[in-house]
Amino acid sequence: MIIADGHGHPWQEGMTVADLLNKIDNSGHCAVVRLNDRYVSLPHFETTLVPDRSEVFLLPMVAGG
Amino acid sequence: MAVVQLKAIKTIEYKSPAIENGYANQTLALDISELSVTIKPVDDKMKQTFIGGKGFDLWLMWHAVKGTTKWNDTDNTICIASGPMGGTPGYPGSGKSIVTAISPTTGSVMDSNVGGYFGPYLKFAGFDALEVSGKTNSDAVVLIDGIDHKIQIFESEGLPEDGYALSAALTEYFDQGKPRNISVVSAGPGAQNTLIGCLNFTWYDAKRKMVRYKQAGRGGIGTVFADKGIKAIVARWDTVSLSTNAPADKDALKKVAKLYSREMVELDPKQNEMARVGTTHLVPIMNDFDLLPTHNYRFGSDPRANLIGKDVFQHLFDPGFDGCWMGCTVACSHGVRDFVPFTGHYKGTKVFVDGPEYETIAGCGSNMGIFDPYTILELNFYCDAYGLDTISLGTGIAFVMECFEMGLINETHTGGLHLNFGNRVAALELVHRMARGEGFGKIVGQGIRRMKKIFAEEYGADAAIMQDIGMESKGLEFSEYMTKESLAQQGGFGLTLKGPQHDEAWLIFLDMVHNFMPTFEQKAEALHWFPMFRTWFGLCGLCKLPWNDIVPEDNKDTMEPAKVMKHVTWYAQYFTSVTGRKATPDDLLTMSEGVYNFQRIFNLKMGFGRREQDTIPYRAAGPVTNEEYESRKERYDGQLVEKHGVDIEGKSTAEKVAVLRKFREEQYEKLKTAVYERRGWTPDGIPTVATARRLGIDFPEVLEVLKTNGVE
Repeated sequence: MIIADGHGHPWQEGMTVADLLNKIDNSGHCAVVRLNDRYVSLPHFETTLVPDRSEVFLLPMVAGG
Repeated sequence: MAVVQLKAIKTIEYKSPAIENGYANQTLALDISELSVTIKPVDDKMKQTFIGGKGFDLWLMWHAVKGTTKWNDTDNTICIASGPMGGTPGYPGSGKSIVTAISPTTGSVMDSNVGGYFGPYLKFAGFDALEVSGKTNSDAVVLIDGIDHKIQIFESEGLPEDGYALSAALTEYFDQGKPRNISVVSAGPGAQNTLIGCLNFTWYDAKRKMVRYKQAGRGGIGTVFADKGIKAIVARWDTVSLSTNAPADKDALKKVAKLYSREMVELDPKQNEMARVGTTHLVPIMNDFDLLPTHNYRFGSDPRANLIGKDVFQHLFDPGFDGCWMGCTVACSHGVRDFVPFTGHYKGTKVFVDGPEYETIAGCGSNMGIFDPYTILELNFYCDAYGLDTISLGTGIAFVMECFEMGLINETHTGGLHLNFGNRVAALELVHRMARGEGFGKIVGQGIRRMKKIFAEEYGADAAIMQDIGMESKGLEFSEYMTKESLAQQGGFGLTLKGPQHDEAWLIFLDMVHNFMPTFEQKAEALHWFPMFRTWFGLCGLCKLPWNDIVPEDNKDTMEPAKVMKHVTWYAQYFTSVTGRKATPDDLLTMSEGVYNFQRIFNLKMGFGRREQDTIPYRAAGPVTNEEYESRKERYDGQLVEKHGVDIEGKSTAEKVAVLRKFREEQYEKLKTAVYERRGWTPDGIPTVATARRLGIDFPEVLEVLKTNGVE
C-alpha cells in the first residue's frame, strides 16, 4: 500500500511514480512529488520506482522565488 | 561586545499619531547634511493612488530627486516603508519593508523588499515611510523611538564595521532590557567599497537570544546608505498585537488571518516544507528541470547539485521557529548555528549564519561551480557581514570566472587569483578584497556592466562575447534562474522595471513545463497579470511566499491554478478589513497597475524606461558557445528542425548557434511588442497618456515627462 496525499493506493511490483500518478485523478499538472522525503521531478517520473509502503506528496505547481 | 560611543547632535520630540486603519498618516524626512527633521502629512489621494510601501516610497522619491540625480548625489533619497497591513501579527508574511533609491549600478529607481521588524516599527512609531537624503562624515546613527516619542541623530565613534557586530552592539545599546523592541538597518564595509551593497534589517530572535538578519539586497541601496555616511538607523517600538494597526474591522481581520494561518500550518508540511527547509527545496527541483544556473548560466544542471540542496541543509539548519515577522507561520528564515569560517576576520570563531536561501545557494554555489555547502555558508555569512548582495556578487563572480577560463582576463589582472570555476578559496579571497575595496576586488565590486567596460578598455577583452555572457540587464545582475527555454521568463526578467529580479514574474514552469501559454498574447497576458499582482505585495508590507508557495488542496481543480485565486480573494478581504477600503481581487491589480506604470515613467524621468533598455544578454535566451549548444544538442537540433523548419544537414555547430540565435532574438522582440500592447504602452515601451489617465497617475509632472519623451 502506498499513501499519496493521505489516500491509500495499492502497490504493484515495478511501480513507478508515473504509474502512481496515472491512478490519481487530476494529477496531470503535477511536476514534482516528494517520495519518502526525496524530491522526484517530472523528467524522472518514469524511471523512479515507488517502494511499497511509501508516502508520497504531490507538490503544488512550482512557483519560484 | 564593542563599546558604543554615541553623541546626540540633534534631538526632536514629536507627538505620535494614533494609527488609523493601517496608516500613521504621516511620513518622516531626514536630511542628514542639514540635520533637518521634517514630518509630512499623508493625504487621501496619496493613499488612494499609491497605497503604501513601494508606492509611498516612489511618490516621495519622485519629489526628492531630479532627472539628473546620480546615486551619490546628496539629493538621492533612500525611502523605506512597510504598508497598511505591514505589522499585522498572525497573518503570514506581514512584516515586509520596501526600500528604494537611485541605484549605483542602474542609475535609475531601485526597489528591494526585506523582512525583519523595521518597517512595522517605523509605522507604529508614527511614520508610514522614511526618506533619508543628504550626506555626513560623522558616521551617523539615527534613532526613531516610538516609545519615548523622539528622533535623535548621533555622531558615533568606534562602532564595529561589519553589519553583524554593529547591529548587535546597537541593539544592546538601545534596548533598555527589551531587545525585541529594536530593529536596526545597517550596511557594512563591503557596501562602502563596492556598488552592490545591501542593507541588513534585523529582528530579535527571543528563543535563541540573538539578533537575526534579513537583507534588502538588490541594486546597491546599501552602497547609497554607506555613501551618505550613515552607520545605522534604529527603530524602537513596544508590544505588537492585532489591534496595533487599528484595523477597520478587527473581527473580519481575525477571521481571515486565522484561516490563512491555519492553512499554512496544515499544508506546508505536505507541500514544500518551508518551515523546515526554507527555499532550499528549489535546488534539486531546478536542477532536475535544467534551470539551476551553473558555471555562469552556461548550463542548468550539474550532478553535484544534490550536495547543496535541501537534503544537506535540512540537517545543517538549526531547528526552531524562524519567522522574520511575528507569528508568520511560513517561518522560512532558517540559519546555521556554530558555523566556523576558515577565512576572514571571523576565522576560527563560531558564528550564526542567517541563511542560505535558494538564491544564495545558486549564486554563491552552482553558478560559480562551487558544490560545497560550507563554502556557500561562508560566502553567505561574509556577504551579510560586509553588506554585499549575494545575488549580484554570485552572478558577478560567475561572470569573472568565465572570463578567466576564456582567457579574457588572467592572473595579472586578478591580483594573482586563479578564478576558475569551483575555486572556492579564490572566490572567498575575492570577496574579502571586494569588501576592502582592494585591487581586482574593487573592480568586481562595480558590477558586471562596469566590469565589461573595464575588461574591454583596459585589458583588451572581447566586448561582444562579454555582452553575450555578462548576465546583467539595465545594470542589475540576473537572479538565479535559467531562462533559455522559457521565452515568457526571458520577458519576466527583461521587461522588469528595475532589472532582472524574479519578484515581478516567475513563469518558467507555467511556460516551459506546463505549456500554459503557447501564444505571444498568452505570454503577454501573464506578463501583465503576474507582475501586477506581485507588485501589490510590496505596496502593502507583505511577503509573496504565502500566496503561491503553499496553496489550497483544491487549487489544482480551479480554472487558473497558477493564480491561486482563493488566496487572492483572502488578500482582498485582508486589505478591506485593515484599511476599510472595499476591494475585490480585480481592485488589487488596479492598485498595482497605477504604481507599476508610475515607476516605469519614473524610469523615463531618469533617462531609462524605453524598449532599448529592456534588452537581455543573449545567454538569457539561448546558447552562446558551441559547448553550450553541444551539451543540449538533441534539444537544439530538434527545435531548429521541428519548430523552425531549418535543414541542419551539413551545418557546423557555430552555424546552428547563429541560426537559432536569429530565431530566438526575433521571438523576444515580438514578445516585447505584445507585452507593451497589453500593458497599454507605446511600441517603445512608454505608458500612453490614456493609460496614465485610466490609472489616476496623470499628475501634471508625470504628463510633462511623457510629453518630453514624445508621448502626449
